[in-house]
Amino acid sequence: MTYTSTECGPAQVGLSADFTVNRQAFRLHVRLEIGAEILVLFGPSGSGKTTTLNAIAGIVTPERGCITLAGQVLFRRQEGTRPVNLPARQRRVGYVFQHYALFPHLTALENVAYPLRGPARHRQAMALLERLNLTRLADRYPHELSGGQQQRVAIARALAAAPRLLLLDEPFSALDLAVRQHLQRDLAALQRELGLPVIYVTHRLEDAFAVGQRLAVMRDGEVAQIGPIEDVFRHPADAHVAGIIGIANLFRSRVIAADVGGVTLDWDGLQLVAPPQAVEVGGMATAYIRPEDVKIIYPDRPLTEAVQHNQTTGRIIENSFRPGARHLLVALPNGHEIEVRHPPSTYAPLNLQVGQEVRLALRREALVLLK
Amino acid sequence: MNWHPLWLSLQVTAVATALMVAAGLPLAWLLARRRFRGATLLETLLMLPLVLPPTVVGYYLLLALGRGSPIVTWFGWRILFTWGAAAIASAVVGLPLLVQAARAAIAGVDPALEHAARTLGSSELEVLWRVTLPLARRGILAGLVLAATRALGEFGATLMVAGNIPGRTQTLPLAIYDAVQNRQYDQANALVLLMTALAFLSLWAVRRFEQPRPTRPAAAASESS
Repeated sequence: MTYTSTECGPAQVGLSADFTVNRQAFRLHVRLEIGAEILVLFGPSGSGKTTTLNAIAGIVTPERGCITLAGQVLFRRQEGTRPVNLPARQRRVGYVFQHYALFPHLTALENVAYPLRGPARHRQAMALLERLNLTRLADRYPHELSGGQQQRVAIARALAAAPRLLLLDEPFSALDLAVRQHLQRDLAALQRELGLPVIYVTHRLEDAFAVGQRLAVMRDGEVAQIGPIEDVFRHPADAHVAGIIGIANLFRSRVIAADVGGVTLDWDGLQLVAPPQAVEVGGMATAYIRPEDVKIIYPDRPLTEAVQHNQTTGRIIENSFRPGARHLLVALPNGHEIEVRHPPSTYAPLNLQVGQEVRLALRREALVLLK
Repeated sequence: MNWHPLWLSLQVTAVATALMVAAGLPLAWLLARRRFRGATLLETLLMLPLVLPPTVVGYYLLLALGRGSPIVTWFGWRILFTWGAAAIASAVVGLPLLVQAARAAIAGVDPALEHAARTLGSSELEVLWRVTLPLARRGILAGLVLAATRALGEFGATLMVAGNIPGRTQTLPLAIYDAVQNRQYDQANALVLLMTALAFLSLWAVRRFEQPRPTRPAAAASESS
């Protein structure tokens, strides 16, 4: 039976969620709307990302609120309305769990065929495996597959149940960089092809840039900000959000060259090199580097791989210690500032002080260009 | 040589095993997967037959199945001193072994797998049948073999509720007792040897079930996609 409702969120195509989950010493309050797009749920661990997915999938029951998907009420507990709590099996929400949760007693093909019915189920499962380039692995058991392969089987299995929404919990966290980038492209293509709403949970900013269209930043059980990724980066709602997304080292720069050797950027007079990628020469690009990836160069030591590129000088204008890390704010010759973060004991021989001149290197591989 | 006690014992054990599966698997699942008030009490009660003297278990069963009990007054089910009473006694004494093993096996199944099955459209029964039980299978089978063997060897409680009627309720362990009392040592030797062989085989089977399942050669897994 389908309930359509107006008092409970308008989402006729996508997902609309507004709910509260109370756990001992933790309160989660989430408000989200999502259409046929990829929404990245980003935040530090413990901020409530997985609980949000579990509530939408029907694994966790919120205390109050409302969740609708494609015009159907999945969950509703509000004053003056009839309570609704569809069991997970009736929600048609595809869920790729953090460690994939493949059935270990079934082969890849049987895993994908699990939600299917009827005599054609193995043929349909085979078609999905083919779509994800897994045909040759159909008869393997999960423990015989690599992490990336298991992940693709998990996505194929979720799609086999004809979901109206796809949830992915840290789907790429266990994979190495090359595999990750490949799968991220696949996921984006798949989303366009199926026109599904997708919620993608990650604690890594690079993943957010790679697949997401919109970004929801979570903090202490709340959605602190939600919007197009570029907007969130340019206008963080408050200092907390800026802190979480590491807004410190985000800058606009002009692309002055791009070839197989890399992309050359001009950041108001400072030339930087980023790994090769497709960008428009002459256009502006937003670039980002994590404070951990800005290295200080020892004047008396040979240059290591990490500090060969993107060198500049600067003057330390702030020096503060936080749990487990030292933060430096360094003024650059181009008039901007850059944040540097490293373990407290690193660079001890340099005896860094406010006012001191240092040489910096922005690690080339870590320089991320946003679309 | 009188083989009747063997056939009777096998019959009693088969029925007792069916009773243990019917009662034990739901109880094991409940204890492994649901938190409820009185769970510890229930578990303790279920384990009691392991440590109580069989005569005490037998006495309780006499009260539960005897005259004046609901089973007789409501259902008119006069089961005392029949082989049916022996089956019930064997089931009660074997049940703790099955529940303990099955509960551990079910608790060992990753709940994420069950959640995954639910999001894929499975009902609770289907989750149990297609995910939980297949994954807990080895542990459950080990418990079942152990419990059935315990049921096969049941003596004290059986004697109390079913008596020791040759040809009607005299199971293998009771026949051994009689044989020794009557100094029929040939009969006793044969039955003791048989009983020992059965017990040995079943423990052997339990060990086999508890060993990790063999994995395929690593060569097959290392080939990349």
